[in-house]
Amino acid sequence: MISAVEFQSVGKSFGETVALDNISFSVKPGETIALLGPSGCGKTTILRLIAGFERPDSGTITIGGKSMAGLKPYERNVGLLFQHYALFPHMTVEQNIGYGLRHRGHAAREIPARVAEMLDLVRLTGFGHRRPNELSGGQQQRVALARALATHPSLLLLDEPLSALDAKLRHELRTELKDVLAAVGSTAIVVTHDQEEAMSLGERIFVMSRGEIMQSGKPDDVYWRPKSRFVADFMGRTNWIRGSVVATDGSVSTFRSEFGWEFPVAASRDGAAMKDVCVRPESVEISSGTGRAGAIGMAGRVEDVVTLGAFRHVSVELSSGDRIISACANRPDISFEAGQEITISMPPQACVLFA
Amino acid sequence: MSTHSRTARSGDRVAGALAYGVVGLGLAFLAIPLAITCLMAFDARTFLGPLPPPALSLHWFERLASQADILSSLRTSLVLAVLTTILSVSIGTAAAVGLARGDFPGKGILTSAFLSPLIVPPVVIGFGLLLFLSKAGITNGMARLLLGHVIVTAPYCIRTGLASLLGADRRLTDAAMILGATERQAFWSITIPLMKTGIITGAIFAFAISMDDVSISLFLSDPSATTLPVTLVSNMRAAFDLTIAAAAVILMAVTVVLIVVLDRLVGFDNVVGQGLFRS
Repeated sequence: MISAVEFQSVGKSFGETVALDNISFSVKPGETIALLGPSGCGKTTILRLIAGFERPDSGTITIGGKSMAGLKPYERNVGLLFQHYALFPHMTVEQNIGYGLRHRGHAAREIPARVAEMLDLVRLTGFGHRRPNELSGGQQQRVALARALATHPSLLLLDEPLSALDAKLRHELRTELKDVLAAVGSTAIVVTHDQEEAMSLGERIFVMSRGEIMQSGKPDDVYWRPKSRFVADFMGRTNWIRGSVVATDGSVSTFRSEFGWEFPVAASRDGAAMKDVCVRPESVEISSGTGRAGAIGMAGRVEDVVTLGAFRHVSVELSSGDRIISACANRPDISFEAGQEITISMPPQACVLFA
Repeated sequence: MSTHSRTARSGDRVAGALAYGVVGLGLAFLAIPLAITCLMAFDARTFLGPLPPPALSLHWFERLASQADILSSLRTSLVLAVLTTILSVSIGTAAAVGLARGDFPGKGILTSAFLSPLIVPPVVIGFGLLLFLSKAGITNGMARLLLGHVIVTAPYCIRTGLASLLGADRRLTDAAMILGATERQAFWSITIPLMKTGIITGAIFAFAISMDDVSISLFLSDPSATTLPVTLVSNMRAAFDLTIAAAAVILMAVTVVLIVVLDRLVGFDNVVGQGLFRS
């Protein structure tokens, strides 16, 4: 099968700064990829290279099996949804959506029908004669999406598609964006620094740092089985527990923390070298009382509770002396308060070993 | 406590009244000479008498129209202003795009150099040009005037062009290109429309300044090509009469027409707000 996009050992520097360091990856047709990383990690450079705004210093980029070397942006059939939409302010919504059709050589009489179809797709029928400054942020974003998709691009690039919107609208549009992408069936690459956006939109996530792809995989893989400390920290909150592996039995090892707390963790091939365990707060289950302490549980005392709406972050000091944070659903029938005696437990597969 | 606040309040009131007074005085200072000029242009007397004129007539205008040197210099001024505007707008727009979008060493110095005629006194420019053009062997009066006027008006066009581009997102050009437009198509369909305000404002400034300039034209005019303001100044020296008031009324009418056009096309607030005075 021909890849929708393929990077082979692509490098790019800006002066002294290495933006991309020998990157290789391929994207399957119809797949949605999220490039996730902090600012300056090279994700935007990848997007600009695919669009043709920059040229690689080394390596080759192919789209649909065709080399892009020397091709200008207008010679590539790529759609791009800009971070701040980049709608043409002097044109109406219809003219904005029709711009690509006019310049990609569509017959003039076909354009109005296609524009109407796109307006319908993003639920903006009747807004065709408005100017961009007469639309809300969410509406502008939908016009930008319609404009990018109007010419049937073989590949859609989305640059921080939701970051300019407020939290509630972001939630709504994320679902809508996913539906539209599924309906069109086009290959898409989403660039974002927001791990929630990456996990919800991407079928696969490439986590990037300093011009390199640190890890790629399905959202759950990357989230639950990070291969590096950077990925573990970047994908969400983590508890780090320092100690060593004391025994291994098949797929489960026993880990002993510096304070002497022993608990089962997922085994790792080079178990003896591992000095840290990473466990996400939501994997730390918390129950009141000390009754279940023993084989799988560990007794402790609540130090502090922070309520975050849907969740509570409960800081716990275990009887061993270890400290750990648990994120649990905020329910009206359960409450925790400082000083309360509790028990925590964690499934072994949620505890990942690091060297 | 209450006495304090009362004094403070009456102080505010005095300051407020004073501010209104100063503004009123300023407006009067600007408007009264214009009003007097207009009134005197229609004076029916054949001599310069005390205000107000006993009767009104158009005879100063007739006299203005009957003077061959005035008419020919008016034609020179109009042709010159139109050519200056076309050249300055072309140069100014191209330079503004290059300075705003380009990234090259010496950009800051080039920008300052382009804008320097706004700071250098016109007399210096006029005298310098006179020496330079004579050495360079350019003796055609119209060509000399055109060069001089383009040098002083192009900076206005660059400035208004730059101001209109600074607000425009560079990504709009990227967006046009990823949608299939070539660089040239993107320039004409996106960049130029975005610069519309700056281009029109620059054009009107260039036209008005060219029509009005005395100091540079005085150096560069010759018998074959003399501008209206230069002719008026020399006529006034020879024999002071009210044809100059009639000419002033005509120039004012042209300015009013330009302002109305400006307002219709781009909105006068835009011009004063961002065209020139905001970077």
